[in-house]
Amino acid sequence: MHSALIEAAERLRQAQATGRPCAPVRELIAAAQADEAGADPVALAYAVQQHNTRLAREQGRRRVGFKVGLTSRAVQQQLGVDQPDFGVLFADMAVGDGQPIAAEAVLQPKVEAEIALVLGRDLDHERHTLADLIRATDFALPAIEVVGSRIADWDIRLADTIADNASSGAFVLGSRPVRLEALDLVRCGMKLTRRGEPVSVGAGAACLDNPLNAAVWLADTMARFGEPLRAGDVLLTGALGPMVAAAPGDVFHAEIQGLGSVTAAFAQSQ
Amino acid sequence: MSIEISSIAEALDQAARRAKPLAQFSPHTPFSLDQAYEIQRASMQRRYDDGERRIGIKLGFTSRAKMQQMGVDSLIWGWLTDAMLEADGGEVALSRYIHPRAEPEVCFLVGRTIDRPLTLLEAADHIEAVAPAIEIIDSRYEAFKFSLEDVVADNCSSSGLVVGPWSRDLAGLDNAGVLMRLDGQLVQAGSTAAILGNPLRSLVEAAKLVSEAGLSLPAGSLIMAGAATAAEALRPGVHVSVDVAGFGETAFTCV
Repeated sequence: MHSALIEAAERLRQAQATGRPCAPVRELIAAAQADEAGADPVALAYAVQQHNTRLAREQGRRRVGFKVGLTSRAVQQQLGVDQPDFGVLFADMAVGDGQPIAAEAVLQPKVEAEIALVLGRDLDHERHTLADLIRATDFALPAIEVVGSRIADWDIRLADTIADNASSGAFVLGSRPVRLEALDLVRCGMKLTRRGEPVSVGAGAACLDNPLNAAVWLADTMARFGEPLRAGDVLLTGALGPMVAAAPGDVFHAEIQGLGSVTAAFAQSQ
Repeated sequence: MSIEISSIAEALDQAARRAKPLAQFSPHTPFSLDQAYEIQRASMQRRYDDGERRIGIKLGFTSRAKMQQMGVDSLIWGWLTDAMLEADGGEVALSRYIHPRAEPEVCFLVGRTIDRPLTLLEAADHIEAVAPAIEIIDSRYEAFKFSLEDVVADNCSSSGLVVGPWSRDLAGLDNAGVLMRLDGQLVQAGSTAAILGNPLRSLVEAAKLVSEAGLSLPAGSLIMAGAATAAEALRPGVHVSVDVAGFGETAFTCV
């Protein structure tokens, strides 16, 4: 692996460890690309992410699933991309419904309401269909993803966020599983409130026209990366509305039509 | 009524009839919000005098984001007439508009006369039914640019509406997904929760505004509750559809 990529991975780990956001890593990735003619910058950014994922697993952190990011048209346009991205979810990123999220857990936190799918079987084909995903999904849960950026002021481009584990931080899952036949994944309304005030609203279709499209993309992509989705994996399929900055003491309540609700509560600062 | 109010009302009325935009008034002829509503009333009166019939009201600035954008903390409202009604599933001739935009909404049908302020519980009891709807907004001002007073004087950009199938059951209306498609492509995905957190709150606001103005909404009136997402510009040939989860779909084709 190119030394600039290793440096990028190190910089991101340091930011998390010290709680101090770092400079973007896109220049390091560009430097590696310049040395490796024909290298795909997206692939190099994922190499940074995978390097840190490997270290995390060596430390015993358990992979429990994935998040799909960049699933809204508006966000894709903002970053000038036409594809989603993914990050790895670890068991220590899971927070119980309504349980306090420590201020230092996530850097520069923002929240978004999503539909989580929990798989009941492996998805190890090269290409998957919507039907494969429906058959493999055990149940859906309402989720609030707490995204965070190790990069100062969220000054991110595509390469930065991919390298930074898709800006993942923590996630809160509801605890009442709902089977897919009881839920309209496309038409369901989403309301995210803070102290009763709607701060983000949307619908299932805001995620790539259908959250299952994000899941199909993820299944194909992970098969290509040689890390196919497994039974038990949690898939955070992507935001159903704009993300909202979170401050200490904030309590967010997400309600997804037909799926129930979930609460993300940020601890007061010390 | 001062000369100015009636002349501004006439200019706005003419702009609407001829589908010709005009410059904003507020930069050179500022007027108050109360005067803006007077202008609105005078302008609408010209249409009633020509035989148009009032069929209800529309509310605007029903989302917190829009209020902040306009720097206001209250709703605005305008009148709907029978001439604004376009057929559900029909064709909408864009020639009568200046620079029309479509907004997904829900529309209420009043079942019992609203002539006093209502609580949320009472409001639901005054409603006969609810339907998915599309408002066609069309500012009479150049470039769709206006101050708060300008837009109120201009009947809150109200120009056309399409109303879909009626449902009597209001359950689930507080957070129903709202999808707007142009030629089958999804362009807006939101929720009825964008309308004051719950569209029924629009009824409370409507009752307050109407009774403060000393007016009433008889049974059979329509109330357009406010936008569930941002608006989309219309162009000839495009097919517009709005789907409100659990409440059905309404659509039209621009010609």
